[in-house]
Amino acid sequence: MSTTETIATGTDTTTGTETTTGTETTTGTETTTGTETTPADSSERTRGPRIGENAPRPDGVPKVNGEFAFGNDMWIEGMLFGRTLRSPHPYARIISIDISKALAMHGVHAVITADDVPGQKLYGLEHKDQPVFASEVVRFHGEPIAAVAADHPETARRACRAIEVEYDVHAPIVDAELSITAPPIHPDGNIFRHMFIRHGHPDSPESEGVVAVEGDYEIGMQDQAFLGPECALGIPLEDGGIELYVSTQWIHADREQTAACLGLDPEQVRMTMAGVGGAFGGREDISLQIHTALLTLHTGRPVKLQYSREESFFGHVHRHPAKMWYRHSARADGTLAKIEARLVFDGGAYASTSSAVLSNASCFAHGPYNVEHALIEGYSVRTNNPSCGAMRGFGAVQTCFAHEAQMDKLAAALGIDSIDLRLKNALKTGDRNITGQLLSGVVPVAELIERCVAHPLPAMGEVGEMMGRPGGAGRTADAHHIKRGFGFAIGWKNLMFSEGFDDYSTARVRIDEGQNGPVVTVHCACAEVGQGFVTLAQQIARTVLGLDEILLHPADTQVGSAGSTSASRQTWMSGGAVQQACEAVRTQIFASLAATHGVDPETLAIQDDHIVSVDGTFSIPVEDAVANKTFEATEVNRHVQTVRLDADGQGDAHVSFAFAAHRAVVDVDEELGLVRVIDITTTQDVGKLLNPRQALGQIEGGIAQGVGLAVMEEIIVTNGKVRNASFTDYLIPTTLDMPTVTIAALIEEPEPGAPFGAKGIGEPPTIASTAAVAAAIRNAIGRDITRVPVRPQDICL
Amino acid sequence: MSGVAFAYSRAADVADAVARGGAPGAAFVAGGTDLLQLWKAGRATPTELIDVYGLGLDGIGVDGDELSIGATARLSDVARHPFVVDQHPLIAEAVLASASGQIRNMATVGGNLLQRTRCPYFRTAGMACNKHRPGSGCGALDGEDRHAALFGAGSSCVATHPSDLAVALVALDATVEVSGARGVRRVGLSELYRLPGERPDVDTTLAAGELITRVLVPRAASIGRLATYVKVRDRASFEFALLSVAAVIRIDAGTIVHARLVCGGVAPAPWRLPAGEALLIGQKPERGVFTVAAAAAVEGAPPLPGNSFKVELLRRALVRTLTTIATGS
Repeated sequence: MSTTETIATGTDTTTGTETTTGTETTTGTETTTGTETTPADSSERTRGPRIGENAPRPDGVPKVNGEFAFGNDMWIEGMLFGRTLRSPHPYARIISIDISKALAMHGVHAVITADDVPGQKLYGLEHKDQPVFASEVVRFHGEPIAAVAADHPETARRACRAIEVEYDVHAPIVDAELSITAPPIHPDGNIFRHMFIRHGHPDSPESEGVVAVEGDYEIGMQDQAFLGPECALGIPLEDGGIELYVSTQWIHADREQTAACLGLDPEQVRMTMAGVGGAFGGREDISLQIHTALLTLHTGRPVKLQYSREESFFGHVHRHPAKMWYRHSARADGTLAKIEARLVFDGGAYASTSSAVLSNASCFAHGPYNVEHALIEGYSVRTNNPSCGAMRGFGAVQTCFAHEAQMDKLAAALGIDSIDLRLKNALKTGDRNITGQLLSGVVPVAELIERCVAHPLPAMGEVGEMMGRPGGAGRTADAHHIKRGFGFAIGWKNLMFSEGFDDYSTARVRIDEGQNGPVVTVHCACAEVGQGFVTLAQQIARTVLGLDEILLHPADTQVGSAGSTSASRQTWMSGGAVQQACEAVRTQIFASLAATHGVDPETLAIQDDHIVSVDGTFSIPVEDAVANKTFEATEVNRHVQTVRLDADGQGDAHVSFAFAAHRAVVDVDEELGLVRVIDITTTQDVGKLLNPRQALGQIEGGIAQGVGLAVMEEIIVTNGKVRNASFTDYLIPTTLDMPTVTIAALIEEPEPGAPFGAKGIGEPPTIASTAAVAAAIRNAIGRDITRVPVRPQDICL
Repeated sequence: MSGVAFAYSRAADVADAVARGGAPGAAFVAGGTDLLQLWKAGRATPTELIDVYGLGLDGIGVDGDELSIGATARLSDVARHPFVVDQHPLIAEAVLASASGQIRNMATVGGNLLQRTRCPYFRTAGMACNKHRPGSGCGALDGEDRHAALFGAGSSCVATHPSDLAVALVALDATVEVSGARGVRRVGLSELYRLPGERPDVDTTLAAGELITRVLVPRAASIGRLATYVKVRDRASFEFALLSVAAVIRIDAGTIVHARLVCGGVAPAPWRLPAGEALLIGQKPERGVFTVAAAAAVEGAPPLPGNSFKVELLRRALVRTLTTIATGS
């Protein structure tokens, strides 16, 4: 592992080497992590993967070997350890906070509360409504009250226990529906957003078809369950500013919010990404960033704050639990006449991204189908439950579960095959969605459906291995107890931020002469949270510039914002920014050749590793063309402007859309309520495959989270209190619980406006996989399933 | 984490362990898989840890007419021991249904029998829990009660015992050998556990300092008998039981002459169902008989609102287990 006085950030990767716990030395000592290796003969360059080729993750092997430096591995001489005191109550008035005993403890350097926040007392990603520390009222179980810095984690823990907080405990409001009309639990009220989407004439008698089906659906609170708990390290700077290393999804948004609460200019807060162990939306909001910075400035010492697994459950937002009423009405031929829905999303105590999540849920509430009329009403509501915000799928997961259940139900009521019903109504390029937006990009809904269901079904295997059966090692089921079920679902969502958000990414690309030839340095603040930007940035630079030695600079705030690693946006946004910056550098190279070789730069192109003229008269290796020269360009990539939805939910709110279909095969032991998900077969609309290996990882991982939500993952909250804040009690699928994942087709139809035509692929695998599993269970047992995760008692009783 | 400082030492021998084990704050440790969790949750605050892992109490073998399993035998060794697999497969089945491979490689038999409840109110610091602090109340009674007991609970505590192995061992009439200040004694495994009553904080009948040294299973408990272990849970790969059933029957001339029905995850201890057992004796091993016995076995179980489904689920699991045994599949 890293030697002393080293802060490993885990994102600095060099091409050609199979390593990368990158190192960032803050003390001037030249140190490296022990894992770094150099090619045997670095003068012999290996050709690195280009766009469309398999690019192995440089951090893959170190992660498997336990050598990658995650945020929690950060260490610096003389650092103090932080700890957060949290509320044991979901709703209470704070009568008093006495920190004197904690402050008097030997080894305690600081105890801070709301009184010690020099700048803004509130923060938030979309809406600043969350106190840095609760001072008057606590609104959820686990809300921060105070933070401690001490010489040892154990001292800090004891100091937290020595803080005396007197509460006047209130009955929490935990039912989102009731909260709509309940007395406000926050000065900003209880409703984060209440919206309508009115499409067509849903109030007219003509909107009513001949067959209608209704249903109530419910989805539990899912956790992102990333494996690397939150961690940050703050280092005070001589100018009164701070250097902050943090495992996050969006360092510039963290910096804005942190600086505002510190009362500093954003430039005084320098942030660098630390090695991230998964995110899935759970690191988009502030967790410990501000607390760490406050403790650092308060003590004038480096401070490391990290969450335990238990604290992580309290320290980040979760997927919104939702209750959804739906009514579908169809013409006799299966044409969707009208979809009505009422969505109630429980946002928990603070706003986070509740407004945008609800907007997504509403915009995609009808599924990827044409419908003549629609009336969608959505609420996202404040309660005293844990705060909810971004998680993979971002609102589309919840409504997909409902709209796909409705489509099956409607097909049954119509006496039409459910696949035919979907195909009949499938959206296609040139259609408009229910917000009136023209779908001008790639919309391969029918093809995704057809190719997914056409794929051969897995054989009804031999009943041999116990683990392959429902109940697994519990030895519950024999062959004759098992009913096999099949289910299908398709879902969609937007790529990039929506509703008028100024969404952009920045990349700086520089070519310098290195020891063994030119080195391209790509500097982008894009957070690598596992999605594969580390390989992608290198692939893009190689493809555009024809050079192989690509160094990815650590993501930090020394370059402009890259936006969030969420909304399946980074391939398009940051990939696009890198592409544009590389193209700008390429233009400079051509101009330089024009000066030195008298060639017309307009005629030049880079083919593989040579610069050639179109007439074939000129050719020079790129390496030679850039030798001993420096080129640099910084580019900002913005997507097309979108608009906020109007009062009727109308407007071009989104940039682009992505689709994925899933067919689930399950074996169910109906008597004991046990399920084994056997196979998920999928098709996905990817635009272009940039790194096939990474795409497979995204699809398998996304399906794992979708299957988890379908059959086991739920944060149990009783009367506002979290009951299962551990990986012993919060169940996620292990490798033994995973179905086989079969990719029937990845549709490569280039998306206009996207870099290389590639669509983001991170979220679609999660959207419909839950719905497909639920459908398969319904199919197996012949009864309705209206809630996920599906528990034994939901199946058998 | 509890953060209370503790001393650690290896016991020299059993006598040394029991001599020191009775001191206030002393605790035995072997695999430590449960103790570490309890310590982190602030639910165990030992000040002196006495390591008994190296005392040679890990033997597995035949002792007279009994199978003897040392208290510090690792679960994974028990599950693959040839004699266990061959003669007492029920034990291997229960062990392999427990935990994960990694934990079975560390956890010991004695620790498994003495592990504490998974009740979330017990396992989470800051929650009202009479088992943790008598008199503080029982959060589960009017809170999250899906995992709460169906049998043997009281107004003080509704926690369940999580061991799979213990359920199988009770069905095999196992006893444990215990060393203490007053020498060695034997106690039936079902008598090792006590019900919460007025002292929900005390799980067992062990005296202070007493150390389980081995588990003894009468060989006759398996000879000529049919048995299996079935476990229902929320995740197939590894997870504690929502409920489980160990059933042992012996059939002579077409009728059942011996029956043990023991369930796990539904009571403060492995829970025998004598009413069900009685209705099996003298009957033919048929589904109809099993259905009647299972219904009688669960009759009168007083569920809480959130776990009432487990009464029916247990009935079905009993029928399933008995049917599986009778059909030999």
